Amino acid sequence: MTTYYLLVFGVLICFFSSVIYALHWSIRSGQFSDYQKGANSIFDDEEPVGEVTDFFPDMKPNTKEANRS
Amino acid sequence: MSAGVAQPSHKPLIAPEQMPVLRAEIDRSCAVPCLSWFASSMFWLIVGTLLGLLASLKLHSPELLGDIRWLTFGRVRPAHLNVVAFGWGCPAAFGVLLWLQCRLCRVRMIWPGVMVAACVIWNLGILIGTIALFAGKSLGIEWLEFPTYAAFLLFLGFALVAVWAMMTFAQRNQEHVYVSQWYMFAGLFWFPWLYVTVQLLLILMPVKGVTQAAITWWFGHNALGLWFSPIGLAAGYYLIPKVTGRPIYSYYLSLLGFWTLALFYNWAGIHHLIAGPLPAWLVTVSIVGSMMMLIPVAAVAINHHMTMRGNFKLLRYSPTLRFIVFGAMAYTLTSVQGSFMALRAYNEPTHFTHHTVGHAHLGLYAFFTMTMFGAMYYIVPRLTGREWASSKLMRIHWWGTSIGISLMFLVLTIGGFIQGFEMNQASESLGSAVDKHGLFGGISEWFGGFKARNGAVPFMDIVRGQIPWLVLRSITGVLLFVGHVAFFILMVMNVHAWGKTRLGPTLFTGRDRTYSRLMTDDGEGAEA
Repeated sequence: MTTYYLLVFGVLICFFSSVIYALHWSIRSGQFSDYQKGANSIFDDEEPVGEVTDFFPDMKPNTKEANRS
Repeated sequence: MSAGVAQPSHKPLIAPEQMPVLRAEIDRSCAVPCLSWFASSMFWLIVGTLLGLLASLKLHSPELLGDIRWLTFGRVRPAHLNVVAFGWGCPAAFGVLLWLQCRLCRVRMIWPGVMVAACVIWNLGILIGTIALFAGKSLGIEWLEFPTYAAFLLFLGFALVAVWAMMTFAQRNQEHVYVSQWYMFAGLFWFPWLYVTVQLLLILMPVKGVTQAAITWWFGHNALGLWFSPIGLAAGYYLIPKVTGRPIYSYYLSLLGFWTLALFYNWAGIHHLIAGPLPAWLVTVSIVGSMMMLIPVAAVAINHHMTMRGNFKLLRYSPTLRFIVFGAMAYTLTSVQGSFMALRAYNEPTHFTHHTVGHAHLGLYAFFTMTMFGAMYYIVPRLTGREWASSKLMRIHWWGTSIGISLMFLVLTIGGFIQGFEMNQASESLGSAVDKHGLFGGISEWFGGFKARNGAVPFMDIVRGQIPWLVLRSITGVLLFVGHVAFFILMVMNVHAWGKTRLGPTLFTGRDRTYSRLMTDDGEGAEA
């Protein structure tokens, strides 16, 4: 029984230390330094900001009109 | 700092002109593993829907197939839960996760064979586990019904995917870790932690007494919020901006939402045991945790809404967006509802009623499943290089599932409230012997006379009063089934290359377009 409790607490400690390590790493490696760059990281020249990339097979939206805001 | 950590720099690791080609290669390299996960998930979706429908029918027509031991309610219902959660939900999540991880790391699929093997192992686990449930070998713990030998296969398949995700991450060509990746890694790490703990404490060396119940629900609740929710949100955070072509409204808020989810969610499980024989402080802590969940939920809701604002007319054009925005709205609704259901006053009438079942379907279906459908609409054409073959079938899928689940939620929520209020004042008398409700009698009685009755309600009257709601629920289940069949046919058609060839930007066929545009454009684009 004690072994199991040790295991459970071991898993718990590993888990929480990995969370703290992840947070620490993300701050140190600059993940929180430039939010705009982060948000834009999924776009590129071929699928730029402003381009709609999905539509029903029989209708393609007018990108400019659809993105007017 | 260790050697592998990417330093912040402003030089992209991939030259912009290589990106379209790389993306097409990434999509193609994901095809076999992702499609095998998707194909198996579709199979189990159909099986799971039929099992759910059968369980639902049995609730108002108990004689239906009641003589067959393998198809009694006590076996069909857990089989439904496990097949849809682990047979449909997890493989769909894995397929989406593999693709997202490759795209966000900008790495071609590594170890495709291992991922197909993981898929085979996982499905073997589901098959063995489901047969065991029908044979009556359930472990009898909710969310952990599969016997240990089946659960072990699932754990093995999961571990392979988690290790794969780490290896892909180690090879990434992208210095920024996108918010979707945080959610996916969280899910991949949280779930094994939950699973190991619960296997040790409930199955290998079971703890005694009420602690068992506490651990069961700590696990049962976290399995949803720390595994299914993160994957659903990861898909939403990538696909809503990607489809609309607009970056997330507030990236800061998205990260805040992630870290607050990590902090608060794992407290919430014990709210399943309100008024149970547990220390009151334990339940209260859990209620506080549940209410704190309003912070990450508000963060996600604001972000999704503000990203979509002004773009809602795109819902007309994009099947992906329809499903995912529906899922995002359902996420907000189910989370807010869940927080309030944890309050003692709200919990008193709704606990142990159909209301809770409605809440569960709102979370796992209206949010998670609809989001997975949306993601598959985006991903599959990019894997196979084929457009979807039929807009008509897509519309059947959309209207069947969206109307079906909305009505199911309404029916169970209202029926559950009635059931709960009546049960709280049930009398011991058996009630009238004659069924005076009929199909819609119960509903009209509620609108007309329920509030005025005010006295003790005979128990059998409460049971009979639920029948119309349960019949309506079965009808909504049929709508869902129709939608699923339409999607199944679409998938088969797509994989068998019945659709038009994709001319979108993510294929090699788009290459000429790419280069001609790169030469004319001034190069100002994403890396603004």
